[in-house]
Amino acid sequence: MKTLLRSLILCAAFAGVNVSGVFAQKTPAEADPELADEMDEYALVQVSDPLEPINRVIFRFNDGLYDYVLRPVAKGYTRVVPEPAREGVDNFFHNLRFPIRFVNSALQGKFKRAGLESGKFLVNTVAGLGGFIRVSDEVPSLAVLPREDTGQTFGVWGIGKGPYIVLPILGPGTARDTAGAVGDYFLNPLNWNPRGNLEWYTWEVQTSVTVVSVVSALPDVLAAYDAPRKDAIDPYIAVRSAYVQYREAAVKK
Amino acid sequence: MNFRFSFRFAAVALLSVAALHAQAPATAVDPVVMLRAAIDEVMAVAYDTKATMPLVERARPVLAKYFNFESITRRAVGPGWRQFTPEQRQRATTLFTDLALRTYANRFEAGDRPGITYAKPVMLDPARPALRELPTTIDYAGKKYTVSYRVEQTAGGWQIYDVNIEGVSMIANWRAQLDPIFQSGGANAVIGSLEKNLSQEPVK
Repeated sequence: MKTLLRSLILCAAFAGVNVSGVFAQKTPAEADPELADEMDEYALVQVSDPLEPINRVIFRFNDGLYDYVLRPVAKGYTRVVPEPAREGVDNFFHNLRFPIRFVNSALQGKFKRAGLESGKFLVNTVAGLGGFIRVSDEVPSLAVLPREDTGQTFGVWGIGKGPYIVLPILGPGTARDTAGAVGDYFLNPLNWNPRGNLEWYTWEVQTSVTVVSVVSALPDVLAAYDAPRKDAIDPYIAVRSAYVQYREAAVKK
Repeated sequence: MNFRFSFRFAAVALLSVAALHAQAPATAVDPVVMLRAAIDEVMAVAYDTKATMPLVERARPVLAKYFNFESITRRAVGPGWRQFTPEQRQRATTLFTDLALRTYANRFEAGDRPGITYAKPVMLDPARPALRELPTTIDYAGKKYTVSYRVEQTAGGWQIYDVNIEGVSMIANWRAQLDPIFQSGGANAVIGSLEKNLSQEPVK
């Protein structure tokens, strides 16, 4: 209960930031039409980065952390656990996070998608042995459902990205996505704390499950992170640009 | 947040490079025909197990055929390109071509062959009929990725000038890095940064 309260306060704090206008959508400067015609037919996604000096320090710190801690963990995991098992674990946690996708599809008014998500959840939970096998991939309409989350819902509601923020450990994000992550936290059944009801679900069990969910996600997350970073002229900007573009595209889907 | 940023970008970047670096044969009228040919040829080179030459050298001629590197470099630099002299443009294009080839070829790992589904081309802007976006879906290692190619009709046929993976445009990503360098140091700074990057050992 205490955790819940604390998180609610955190939520409220983010909401406060929102009101104060930090989230105001930044309109990119009007491009010179002649230049635009010669150079580009699409505008580049912009993000404000008033914290750049601090962000760059944290970015460098994260680089070290990823190189010396997280990457070895991810490597160990892929070496020890065979591919089919890893896929099963990924599928299980993906299925478990169904409430995040369902609630946010509904909040964005995408009721058809919310319905499809429910069908996918049902099929995978029942026929896919609790979500370990993604049976839904056999159904074309269920195979390519874009993933929705709270940050995207805020975007659909017209809330601006806010400033770019690099957090220690967690990495790149915007103010909007950071607030969204709080929403996702509450929608993730892993954090529903059913300990009061289930005797066997001790804090040790809960912690272990959380650790497995994080470690199993690491290889993909690090690969995504490394793609723009490696060989970049300015890795900080490369990651920032990739992150912001990726999230903007996700909001539109 | 980072956790939602999770798609196998690296692997797909590779496959799409397969597609990124292509220029159309003059006969290809339909841009999708060109794209298919480009991807097929790149895959044939990439998955050639008997080859002894490094992938970056094997891929170069194929990619040079389907990709318009001059146009890619111009767009990656952005509006600053207008202030490049012809010599600087030539130099930047040569360097950028090497950088693009190296970046992607070094990351390629021959694993499962990806499955590619081609969708209908999209006209980007009625005022610019020479540009098209070609959306595709790549099915790789049990996951699906949205990858689209931007192509341009030139005298030599359709040519690829941008690859967009899950919403991330390669051109936009390069320009985000190169434009501030141009703003602060001009064309020579851009060329210098490309030279510096190429002189470093590739990141494994």
